[in-house]
Amino acid sequence: MSISEQDAVAALTPARRTVVPSRDRARESGREAPGAVCHALSARITGPLRAHARDELADRFAARAAELVAGGPAAGLFPGAATLWPQAVPCRSDSSDAARWRTRELDRPLVAHRDPAVRGVLLTYTDGVADLVVVAHRAALGAVALRRFADEVLDRAPAAPDAAPADALPAPDPVAQAAGLADCEFGDRPDWGLGRPHGPDVRETRTLPLPAGHPAGDPESWAAALGLVLARYEGLVRPLVPALVTDATGPRPVEGVALVPVEAGPAYTLGTVHKGVRTALAAGPAWYTEELRRALVAADGEFEAFPAVGTVAVGLGSADDPGTDTYLPFQRAPFPVTVSVTRDSAGGLLLRCDHSPRLLHPDIADRLLGHVARVHRALCESPGTPVADVALLDEAERAATAELGRPAPLPWFEPERIDVAVAAIAASRPDAVAVSFESTRLSYRELDGRADRLAHALRGLGVGDGDRVGVCLERSAELVVTLLAVLKAGATYVPMDPAYPQERLAYTTADAELAVVVTDRADFPGGEAVRVIGTAELAGLTPGTVDGPPASATGPHDPAYVIYTSGSTGRPKGVVIPHVNVLSLMAATLEDFALGSDDVWTLFHSSAFDFSVWEIWGCLLTGGRLVVVPYWVSRSPEEFHRLLVQERVSVLSQTPSAFAHLMDVERDGAEPVPVRLVVFGGEGLEARMLLPWFDRHPETGCRVVNMYGITETTVHVTAQTVTRYEALTGSRSVGHALPGWWVRVADPEGRPLPVGVAGEIYVGGAGVAAHYLNKPDLDALRFLTDPLTGERMYRSGDKGRLLPDGRLEHLGRLDNQVKLRGFRIELDEIRAVLLDDPQVGAAAVVLNRTDPDDPATAQLDAYVVTAGDGDTAGVRQRAARYLPAYMVPSTVTALDRMPLTPNGKLDARKLPRPAHAPAVEPAPVPVAAAEGPEPAAPQDEFTSTLLEVWQEVLGVAVGPDDNFFDLGGNSLLAMRVGAALRRRGAATVPMRDLYMSPTIRQLAAGRA
Amino acid sequence: MRLQGKTVIVTGAARGVGRACALAFSREGADLALLDVCGDIEGVPYPLGTASQLAHTAELCRREGAAVLTAQADIRDRAALRSAVDRTCERFGRVDVLLNNAGIVAPSGKPAHEVGEEEWQVMLDINLSGAWRMTSIVGPLLLAQRSGSVINVASTAGLVGYRNFAGYAASKHGLIGLTKATALDYAPLKVRVNALCPGSIRDDSRAEGRMLGEIARALDLPVSESEETFVQSQPMNALIEPEDVAGAALWLASDESVQVTGSVLTVDGGFTAR
Repeated sequence: MSISEQDAVAALTPARRTVVPSRDRARESGREAPGAVCHALSARITGPLRAHARDELADRFAARAAELVAGGPAAGLFPGAATLWPQAVPCRSDSSDAARWRTRELDRPLVAHRDPAVRGVLLTYTDGVADLVVVAHRAALGAVALRRFADEVLDRAPAAPDAAPADALPAPDPVAQAAGLADCEFGDRPDWGLGRPHGPDVRETRTLPLPAGHPAGDPESWAAALGLVLARYEGLVRPLVPALVTDATGPRPVEGVALVPVEAGPAYTLGTVHKGVRTALAAGPAWYTEELRRALVAADGEFEAFPAVGTVAVGLGSADDPGTDTYLPFQRAPFPVTVSVTRDSAGGLLLRCDHSPRLLHPDIADRLLGHVARVHRALCESPGTPVADVALLDEAERAATAELGRPAPLPWFEPERIDVAVAAIAASRPDAVAVSFESTRLSYRELDGRADRLAHALRGLGVGDGDRVGVCLERSAELVVTLLAVLKAGATYVPMDPAYPQERLAYTTADAELAVVVTDRADFPGGEAVRVIGTAELAGLTPGTVDGPPASATGPHDPAYVIYTSGSTGRPKGVVIPHVNVLSLMAATLEDFALGSDDVWTLFHSSAFDFSVWEIWGCLLTGGRLVVVPYWVSRSPEEFHRLLVQERVSVLSQTPSAFAHLMDVERDGAEPVPVRLVVFGGEGLEARMLLPWFDRHPETGCRVVNMYGITETTVHVTAQTVTRYEALTGSRSVGHALPGWWVRVADPEGRPLPVGVAGEIYVGGAGVAAHYLNKPDLDALRFLTDPLTGERMYRSGDKGRLLPDGRLEHLGRLDNQVKLRGFRIELDEIRAVLLDDPQVGAAAVVLNRTDPDDPATAQLDAYVVTAGDGDTAGVRQRAARYLPAYMVPSTVTALDRMPLTPNGKLDARKLPRPAHAPAVEPAPVPVAAAEGPEPAAPQDEFTSTLLEVWQEVLGVAVGPDDNFFDLGGNSLLAMRVGAALRRRGAATVPMRDLYMSPTIRQLAAGRA
Repeated sequence: MRLQGKTVIVTGAARGVGRACALAFSREGADLALLDVCGDIEGVPYPLGTASQLAHTAELCRREGAAVLTAQADIRDRAALRSAVDRTCERFGRVDVLLNNAGIVAPSGKPAHEVGEEEWQVMLDINLSGAWRMTSIVGPLLLAQRSGSVINVASTAGLVGYRNFAGYAASKHGLIGLTKATALDYAPLKVRVNALCPGSIRDDSRAEGRMLGEIARALDLPVSESEETFVQSQPMNALIEPEDVAGAALWLASDESVQVTGSVLTVDGGFTAR
């Protein structure tokens, strides 16, 4: 029994059962292949081969093979002597069948300790021609020695240069070293490869014939070229490229596998990079070993697994004399993705990529070859070029990629102001209901008329064309009228959420240089420069009758609104959006979404969140009815659900997080809402969460569209219709750019990246904002001119990739990457794994430090909303099955609901402490005791239950006079209080009551 | 092609089901090592496969484009089997499929207590121990590769009894037990083991099988009469053709059945469905 067989059998005994991989890692990593350590040569014998010549040939073969066993580097590693196997082939030597036979023989591997060191097969064809095929184990014959072996068997003049055949594997155990490669764990599939993880696990080869003038270069040049391409693909300055180097024809025979660090810093020249690779290889190609791996880990903390993409750099010989031999440097590509170059029978260079469709999309493989060829040519022909100046994409590919991201032009529409377009609808269907709010109904005529009068009132306050007017109102009919009135006054509205803290309101007022603010918030931070006016007072200033809106010179290309967004850096910044952008957005979506006067929309979101722009103007510009959702209702999924049913809402815009709450209500048995279109925006959608939705709402009845968007590009950029297919496959696609919008993915230097490669998303076209308000420095960083077309574009800071069909994949923020003890971790990746768990409905992952000053205390904490019994240990165990240990969250905490920001996005700051942390335990003693010496009053059941639940939800000690919101409570925690009370079968507290009476004593008193 | 690049070892390949399977495998791109005893065995009361028949099977396979090795080996002779497998590895570099097909149907035709010691021994040694012997030689190769398929050709007599065939039924029942236990042994390393249970197979002239004839002889019946009996006993009202068995073997050999192991697949026209 051979060593590998013993290993295999030992693996089956109970004691070693754990070595059997739980998943089929062997297949994924290519371990099944001993083929990387064997190579083969086929040599043509053209003359008719008579019987005695054949015998002589067989004798020479046997004699030479016997020498291999007797001496040389591989003595004792291979059993027995090899014989030459005759094989009559029933076809002519020039037929395609003959080529298949040759390939078949070239591909048959040898197994050390079991098979002889070489195999010879003499293929004799019907036309008298024969091929000698020799397969050799590298431990016995290196590339030079293999060629010489064939020469001697054929008794012909050596074609190889007379170099010392010191190219066999080094002692002491070449077989083990060679096997190390086959056994090594390769890194993850390259994410730019767009392979189908569950596709067929077959070997696929793509080839690219290089033009006649392409320089052959040396083996190192190909490794360098691949490294430079990978550097660009993966955003690295020092990619590690595994290379199987076998140069049998060069002046300096080398052979081995090396992990080549390709120093590809932007300041280096291509020549320097090339030289660096040569130096690295000259240091001695080493067969892959565990020691090599450890050395690399030590040298480079980020290096974890053996890189999956490698190259086979072969000495190519001369183009003039390709010879009649076929040399196969490897039988099975040594790396999961192997880029190599060979000569075809005519002497031309052929670049090839061996891979599994699980790893690379065929288009991506083709492009990869194109990029390697392009960089290689530059490297050989202009070695003085700095790395930074090398363009991966040629003109044609750049144009094609740009085209992909720009699927359709904007349909024509008459550019006009938003308020003018709404007035036109009011004129054509004056009696249709435009806005509903609670019991209020405003027809289009009433809406238009009231806004006209308010506009005159604003003018009376001194508001003129282009002035900015703050609007800080709760969601109400009045809000919509006021926003329209500001536009009618020729001014720009600046929405502010009344729930914002004072400082933020004051900052916005000052930054936007507001002259007038319409608000009913009594404590709005006013000042000398600003007139703060309530809605009632403003209404009192309206003239009795007006004839249309005030005259205004404001045009469609002037600003309609300024919305403040919190930048990741520093203070909020105002985004200035012209009227025409909003009209463009509607022109881009009107037909596809079949928006019309029969539609009923909700205004769910705060007017300070630009999703509301889509809700308000999307509805009013298409003649629909806008149902304004009262704030209290928007915080209560049950009530919101009731509203959707009552108002027969047809177009619903939601963040995925908020929508999850709505789905929960339906899951608890509520009647399905009658919507026909759900538009997701505001945050990334994890499409899997929608499976229960599709069970209740077939795609034929309700279309679900996921839209990627940014305030700076007018709400939306792309649209992806989500079906059960996307939900099942967990698609991350956000779809094609809207007609008139375009997207591009570029590297940090702004150079367009190829399809599949992740980079920064740039957005251009009809939605690009005018600028940031009074932030020219920031404008210069974010609003750029496309050097290719001269168009304006926005640099988003979002990470994405273009798919071969032109759809965009959104991959989170560029800065959403965390590092934990040297490991690079995408939190979204962990989240996706958690969401894969059928028990998990929503998930969040954060990187925490229990001691902020001690990096060693950093850990990943996961939060999940589970469908079942909240078995967080099970969730963690399952995640541990799919994630490397360093990515498995240290804690998994079950939540009833994910905390959301006012805009409906996940609010990471409001996540409770991790479940296992020694957080504040629910106080076992009567809580009031903690309040001080005052003796605890006897508590009724309501009070004690509420105390218990508040403590549980807030994670702090609670007294009957503590204000819920002062203790860190918020609307979401209030929801969780409601859920916890329901679970206990206790009486629940209406949301509004909690806001009105925020202490337990008050609540209890209210019940009495 | 479904077996492109795979190497298959077939025992009992000179004729009958072995020949039909070898041909089917070669049509799907496999390379073959064909083993047969190529001679008679003492105590087996009918002529077994011959060297000429084995050469003919090989020739038929070569015409289909297969590279073929043949080896004369008695399934009871471990050294001969080992040498044949070694040669197979040398030539083809790998083994992917082992079809344990060699088997005998007689000495039979008497109630259990009348079976002689030697008759019992030869039946078990060939039908049951033969498959185990080959598995013990080829199994480690498959495990080292982390892939492979072992197919044991049992019989409906591995599932039900037949009067006057105690030794045969015992050997085939045993073969199914061997299949299931080995399947569990090998499953962690992705090597699959399954059993095929053909019903009554026609002795067709192309495959040169002689199963039914020998059964008839054991029962002292004219061949035509026993054929009729078997046709009637199989709900699909037909005898099994060797190619029908080959079709099932091909599926078990190919990656199409990649999650099938420890299973018992009947090709019996519904005989055991009753």
